[in-house]
Amino acid sequence: MHRLLIVDDEDHIRKLYKDYLSREGYEVVTAASADEALKIAAEIGLDLVVLDIELEETTGLEVLKKIKEQYPALPVILNSAYSTYKSDFHTWVADAYVVKSSDIVPLKEKIKELVKV
Amino acid sequence: MEYVRTPSTEIDVTFLKSHFDNSPLGFFMINRCGVIEYFNASAAAIIGFGRADEACGAPVQDIESVINCDLSDCFNAILNGQTFQKKEHRCTNRLGHFAILNVFGSPYRMPTGEIAGVLGIVQDVTDISKRKADLEEAILELSILSQVSEALSSTADLDEVLKIILTGVTANQGLGFNRAFLFLANESGEYAEGQLAVGPRNPDEAGQIWSRLDSQKKTLKELLDDYSERENSSNYTLSSFIAGWRVSLTDDSFFSRAARERCGINIHGKDDLSSTSRDIMTRLNSENLAVVPIVGKGKILGIIAADNRITGKRIISSEVELLQIFANHTAVAIERSRLYDNLLEHTEELEEMNKQLAESQEQIIRVEKMSVIGELTSSIAHELRNPLTVIGGFANLMLSSGGNDSNTEYLNIIISETKRAETVLHHVLDFSKASRTKTQEIDFNRLVVQTSGLLASKTRNRHRTPFMRLASEKLAVWGNPDQLQHALLQFLLAALDEMTDECLMELSTGIHEGMIKFTIGFNGTEESRAKVLKTMKQVFGNSTGTQKLSIIVAGETLRYHGGNYGLESSEEGLPRIYIELPQYKGGQDA
Repeated sequence: MHRLLIVDDEDHIRKLYKDYLSREGYEVVTAASADEALKIAAEIGLDLVVLDIELEETTGLEVLKKIKEQYPALPVILNSAYSTYKSDFHTWVADAYVVKSSDIVPLKEKIKELVKV
Repeated sequence: MEYVRTPSTEIDVTFLKSHFDNSPLGFFMINRCGVIEYFNASAAAIIGFGRADEACGAPVQDIESVINCDLSDCFNAILNGQTFQKKEHRCTNRLGHFAILNVFGSPYRMPTGEIAGVLGIVQDVTDISKRKADLEEAILELSILSQVSEALSSTADLDEVLKIILTGVTANQGLGFNRAFLFLANESGEYAEGQLAVGPRNPDEAGQIWSRLDSQKKTLKELLDDYSERENSSNYTLSSFIAGWRVSLTDDSFFSRAARERCGINIHGKDDLSSTSRDIMTRLNSENLAVVPIVGKGKILGIIAADNRITGKRIISSEVELLQIFANHTAVAIERSRLYDNLLEHTEELEEMNKQLAESQEQIIRVEKMSVIGELTSSIAHELRNPLTVIGGFANLMLSSGGNDSNTEYLNIIISETKRAETVLHHVLDFSKASRTKTQEIDFNRLVVQTSGLLASKTRNRHRTPFMRLASEKLAVWGNPDQLQHALLQFLLAALDEMTDECLMELSTGIHEGMIKFTIGFNGTEESRAKVLKTMKQVFGNSTGTQKLSIIVAGETLRYHGGNYGLESSEEGLPRIYIELPQYKGGQDA
């Protein structure tokens, strides 16, 4: 079973993704902050990270940078309400960029694609 | 005839000598018998005798034959107590010299009161008369120049100035030439072009005009002020005769010489002239022409040519000199008129620039407001996106969990409405993203082509490619390119949504009443056009209640850029959407 980390400061988003993706057969762990995310990544093995950009204390881009420095092979999907970050070259190091939507299918398909790789 | 001298006792010549021998005035005395008794040196010199005593003993007729001033005729009347005077009498003296004389005669009385003869005074006023004539001529010239200057000061219009000048040259109360021609030099002074001519076309017409003017007895000033006189038909014909005629100012013609040497020339006959000069004389049909340059600030401004074609009166050098003085005044008037025109032109330019500046400031404020609104809507939209994701996401989750059938319908409604709300957010976010771009000059045709390309990608080629008819000239607008592209795209997408398969979209750009106009037209069957028109009226009509949010936002974008939009019919009666934006003419900073 593939293990996913969902990083988002919104409780309901974390819950939605956890419930949805668990039912898709993934083991889902969540983090509400950058520190928590980096701690989890250091403690347990992960197959993929779904990372929000606008976090409360820092930006997801900082987390992305650290994850990619420490675990270059770990796929990261940036998941944001903002589509404008797509043009920020800092986001280009991520493996995918999916804009938040009530339709979770595109995110699910992207995860499936990256986890397979 | 033998003359008898009266006894010397009757006239005391010694007395006359003692008083008048050294007088600068000429004195003479004739006795009752008409014999000259006394002549002083001045009188002898005036009449042309070698010595004073040469005249003594001669009859009065000897003087009269020289000065021919009716003195002999009046002799008896003077002896009867009357006086005689003749002022500024022109004659030629015994030596053949022309002289202007004042002659006075009065009875010479003895101490007893008896008239013994005629005492005469003769004064040579030739120099005084000449100086007086010169003075009068100078006063007349000054008067002419003064009146012309006064008339010129009443207008700054170049055409009027030129007409006044030539009227002054040809008026009898002015310089009195029969005809006058004015040529204006080009900027570099290489050639002069026929501009205006004044004068009669033929002797008959001259007779009519001059007789009419003579009966009116107008002063030069009145004549110059008379607009209708300057506009008479013969002047028009004469002007058309030289209009557009270019005369070189760099060849060997007398026009070039006058321009080069900056002085007037009096041309008599054609024999000694160069072929170019002869051609000019022939074309002007003139035998004697006065030509003067108009020079202002050392630069040749034009040429005035004048002649007496009708009367045949020979032009004298003093008239050419006066015409030159006149031309110098003309130069000042022309310069002043041109400066005034330049001033007007610059004032208009400044007014236009001020207007553009005010419009630009207004536009900048609008665009800035738009930018602020964009930031605000962006932040609201992002705040809404997370809740929508959660609501729709859980609804999707519940639906896929297979809840009871009664909830399925409700869940589908939640999902559908959430998607709709997300679409609205998408539009708003597109708009706010556009708001962050800086304002700049935009090539509108290029914007239309780019937007049309986006349309193709958005609709995935479900529709036929629009037919485009773009203006050949560059159409520039000032604003936010992303915002405007977003607005145009919304209109195109909305138009596509309402279009039937039979319709073909036609896009065109152009200028209409100073605004850049973009139209989205529809061509197709009558039925399809009617359908499009009906739906368009709902979408683009004035009732905002039925308009799509995207069109409202796009419409506001256009208004913020000083533009507007609406529905209209083409010349062929086809429905079309029009968008208008102010044309950008440069001068603003990005």
